[in-house]
Amino acid sequence: MENLTVRKSPLPWWAAGIVLGLVQVLAIGLVKPLGVSTQFVVADAKIISVVNSDYAQNHPLISKGKYQEFGYGWWLDIGLLAGACIAAVLIRRWKIQKTTVWWQVNHGSSAAKRLITGFVGGFLILLGARFAHGCTSGQFASGWAQLSLSAVPFTVTMFGFGILTAFLVYRKTPTIAK
Amino acid sequence: MSTEMIGFIVGLLFGAGLLLAGLADPDKIIGTLRLKDFHAMRTIIVFILVGMLGTWILALLGIANFSVKPAAILSVLIGGALLGTGFGLTGYCPGTGLACAATGRVDAMVTVLGMFAGALVFILIYPAVAQPIEAIANFKKVMLPEITGIPRGVWSLVIVAFGVLALILTGKKKSVD
Repeated sequence: MENLTVRKSPLPWWAAGIVLGLVQVLAIGLVKPLGVSTQFVVADAKIISVVNSDYAQNHPLISKGKYQEFGYGWWLDIGLLAGACIAAVLIRRWKIQKTTVWWQVNHGSSAAKRLITGFVGGFLILLGARFAHGCTSGQFASGWAQLSLSAVPFTVTMFGFGILTAFLVYRKTPTIAK
Repeated sequence: MSTEMIGFIVGLLFGAGLLLAGLADPDKIIGTLRLKDFHAMRTIIVFILVGMLGTWILALLGIANFSVKPAAILSVLIGGALLGTGFGLTGYCPGTGLACAATGRVDAMVTVLGMFAGALVFILIYPAVAQPIEAIANFKKVMLPEITGIPRGVWSLVIVAFGVLALILTGKKKSVD
C-alpha cells in the first residue's frame, strides 16, 4: 500500500509559488512572459513544411513568422525539459512510471487504460490550448500576471471543466501524505 | 546574451520549479481539481500573485515586456473547456506534461504525443473552423487596466486580497504539502 499514497511535494506551497512567480517576473523583465503550447504548432508546422510546402506557405496560421522559427519559446520548452529532468535526478524522483496513484485507486493497476486516456487527454489539451491562444502557462499564469482580459473567460471554463471531469473520473480518494 | 539562450535558461528554471513545486505531479493536480488536496491550488495562487505584483513593479519601472493574447471570447471559452477536460482526465497541462515526460513518466510521454496530434488537428481545421470562431466577440489584445480605466495597482491589490482570502479558506487542516 505504500506506493498507493500521494507523495508530499518537494517544496512547501508558499516557497514553490514564490519560485515560480519570480521565474515569471524574470521572463517578463527580460524577453516575454512564460508560454509553452505554441511550440507544439511550431514543431508540427516544420513537419508539414517538409511534407507539403505549398500547403504550409498558403496556410493562414502556420505561414506566420512566429510558427516558422525556433526562437525564445522553442528554447524555453527545451530548457523546461532539461530543468525538470535535472531537478528530478537531483532529488531522486526520476523514475519510470506508467500510471498514477489517483488513477490506480479508481481504475486499477493496469497501465493500458491510463495510457489511452493520456493520449486522448493530450489531444484535447493542445487542441484547446490553441483555440484559447495559450495554455495554463501562456494564457492563465501569464494572462493574470499581465491582467489580460482573455485570462478571465479562460480561467472560468478551464477550471470549471477541469473540476467537473476530475469529479467524474476520479471518484475515490487515495491516502495523501501530509 | 541571445534571446534563445535567455529562453533556455528561463525554461531550465521553470521546469525545475514545476517539479520542485509539486505541479509536475499529476496526483497533486488531480487532488486539487477534486478539492481534496489544496497544495497545488495554493502554490498556483502564490505563483499568480507574485507574478502579478512583480509585473506591476516592472510596469512602474517601464521595463515590462508585455505579450497579451487576443480576447477572442468565444474561442477562449471553447479552448478553456477542451483544455480543462484534458486537464481533469490526465492531471497534465502542456508545461507539466513536458516536465513529467522528462522525469520518466510514460503516461506523460503518451500525453505529449496526444498534444502533437491535437496541434496538428488544430492546424488542419484552423481555416474552416477556428479562424471564423476567433472573429466572434474578439476584443483584441487588451488588458483589464486599459478597458476599465482602473489602474494596474488597484487591480493587482484587489486580486491579491481575493488570493489571500482563498489561501485562508484552504488553509490549516485542509492544506497538504
